[in-house]
Amino acid sequence: MKKITILTLATICFGMMAFTSHSGGIFKTNTGNINFFSHTPIEDITADNHKVKTAFDATSGKMQFSALIKDFEFPKALMQEHFNENYMESTTFPKSTFSGMIENVAAIKTGENGIYKSTVSGKLTIKDVTKDVSTEGTFTVKDGVVNAKTTFVINPTDYNIEIPKSVAGKISKEIKITVDADYRHAH
Amino acid sequence: MKKPIFLLILLIALGAFLYAYRAYNKPHTDVASTEAAETISASAIFQAFELDDSAAMVKYSDKVIAIHGLLLNRDLSNEKEPQIVLEGNGYDGFIRCGFKPEYLDKLLSLQDSTTAHLKGICMGMNGSEELDLLADKDVVLSNCTLID
Repeated sequence: MKKITILTLATICFGMMAFTSHSGGIFKTNTGNINFFSHTPIEDITADNHKVKTAFDATSGKMQFSALIKDFEFPKALMQEHFNENYMESTTFPKSTFSGMIENVAAIKTGENGIYKSTVSGKLTIKDVTKDVSTEGTFTVKDGVVNAKTTFVINPTDYNIEIPKSVAGKISKEIKITVDADYRHAH
Repeated sequence: MKKPIFLLILLIALGAFLYAYRAYNKPHTDVASTEAAETISASAIFQAFELDDSAAMVKYSDKVIAIHGLLLNRDLSNEKEPQIVLEGNGYDGFIRCGFKPEYLDKLLSLQDSTTAHLKGICMGMNGSEELDLLADKDVVLSNCTLID
């Protein structure tokens, strides 16, 4: 009887430890989504990347992203060509990265289902130009998967993205970036 | 005399319009019907990027590349682009291959730990040593299609 009680207690303790470990640690995905959207009266331009590498440390709050520029897919092949060759020079500058911190990460209980708001601030690098960005995001925890969503705006000229005058009317001065990623605990 | 000139101008304008229309609406590369620019093993293309990222970008990016390598797993977590992962360099380097959602059934029928043969458009190498959480690297291929 005593043996069974000890065994039961040990099992409960082990279970609790396992649960606690999932409340911290590294959460990661290689299949995050980033969309960018440009709206002008002449034309809407949108592109998606579904293979964004991103992770966050649920203990320290550190959050990082790495996205391949060539992997943004446009509805039209010509737009994609112009984006890569003329504006982003993506063979020379193949990646965009972000490295920052989730504020008050302790409030995001990755071991409990729930919805949490937090601000993420850090450094965004595009075309080797690094700028500070800060955005409010929503973290939704459901059955061990942490979904992070945020939307923010960047100005292409801040990152040395020069838009020729001939197409300036078709490309917005403010590009809306939407991030949507499902993180899983990295074992 | 005026009529032939008018017709000529009209034909040139029509030609220019058609050229611009076709260029604007040209389709994306159809990987299935495009001959691979290069056939290479998963570990060899990973090594090429690891050795010299810039040179490998010039050589492989935007090109249809045929790849064969050990299938480590299928990553179906993003329904918009199901993916498979090939071994590139042990547990530190991978080849990540994205497919259109209509390939899902074919991907489900693949067996892990077998050799996969596919072709896709090379996008470059993702991951960075400067980002400690993302130090593992993937050579990324998109719009992939399986080769029988």
